[in-house]
Amino acid sequence: MRSLMFLPALVLALAACGGSDVDISDVAELPAVGGNELIAELAQSTEPVVVNVWASWCVPCRSEAPLLERAARQSSVRFIGLNVRDDQQGARTFIAEFFPEAPIEHYMDADGDVPVELGGTRGVPLTFFFAPGGELVKLHTGVIDERTLALQIDEIAAG
Amino acid sequence: MEFSLLGAVFVAVVPLYLVISWEARRGNAASCARNLWDVALAAMVAGLFVGRLAAMIGDGVNPLMNPADILIVRGGVATGPATMAALATVAWLGRSAMLAYVDGLAAAALAGLAGWHGGCVVRDSCLGTPSDLPWALAQEGSSVTRHPVEIYAAIMLIVAAIGVAQWRARGRPLPGVPAATALLIAASARLITEPMRPSLGTGQRWWYAAGIAVAMVALVAAIRRGTGTDQPVSETK
Repeated sequence: MRSLMFLPALVLALAACGGSDVDISDVAELPAVGGNELIAELAQSTEPVVVNVWASWCVPCRSEAPLLERAARQSSVRFIGLNVRDDQQGARTFIAEFFPEAPIEHYMDADGDVPVELGGTRGVPLTFFFAPGGELVKLHTGVIDERTLALQIDEIAAG
Repeated sequence: MEFSLLGAVFVAVVPLYLVISWEARRGNAASCARNLWDVALAAMVAGLFVGRLAAMIGDGVNPLMNPADILIVRGGVATGPATMAALATVAWLGRSAMLAYVDGLAAAALAGLAGWHGGCVVRDSCLGTPSDLPWALAQEGSSVTRHPVEIYAAIMLIVAAIGVAQWRARGRPLPGVPAATALLIAASARLITEPMRPSLGTGQRWWYAAGIAVAMVALVAAIRRGTGTDQPVSETK
């Protein structure tokens, strides 16, 4: 029993030993974006758009990031990442770690107001699904799973 | 906060508990029903933990560097490793009478899986690939009708759960045969419905096919062992 109690301590110790050595020099600074600006961009889009709201301090965002990266590589719709209430260093480190090659355009919203203006909430993560022309088809709150992401991409692509 | 996943887990656990209790009242597993419930819960937790770790590693996320991510079950659980961990937990905790334990949980596990799939109603995630069938459903605001694929799976599994429970109550099957049959049915139900699930290409078909193969081997082994010893299930405990 004592050996079993030792296991969590070992895991925590190993986790604490790990340092972040992510190179962010290849990641460009994220441009700032306002609500109206992004809404206008979505309205002009001729293709469906998935907007994922994330932050480097958000643990669930880390959890869904590999799925979004894979989806952005595979699907034909456009992906936009909206970083909120974060700093450049944290955001660029997150991108270098999770989205180094993914075709996702990232923007920064330091105040975190843009998701509310898009029709969402201030919580993260959020994933918006927009039809061509900027119509909001679906808003998913919280961590998204593969099935839901695939279904909603299919919906906006079919729409 | 978003609690629909928790709701779906509740919908899965209730039938699991009800079938264990029902079988206990029918005398199928009277002496170990309490243990069965504990073993089932332990197997669920072990399965979730290992399945989550496997999903993280598969996504390239180091669980040691990101231990908090392990708790984000919604981020994904790898079904195959989760099932193996759950089965290993049952085998280890019930090692004193392994066949009685796995058989005792067979119908309950099918009912729990049926509840999990039926819990899609709570999670708003029942729909699959597009379909023109009369019972196909569209999500709110959409004109695209789709297979209610999780309902298909739930129906298959609940019918199988009732069948296995009745079989155990009336047919006195050979030890190990109900458990192998339940695994065969569960893997088959998933494999049959998998093409109707929206996916980004990480379908688990090979895991389900492997589950069917393992279940068939276990079934043959249980029948051979049972016919060799001619030992009824109630006497294995």
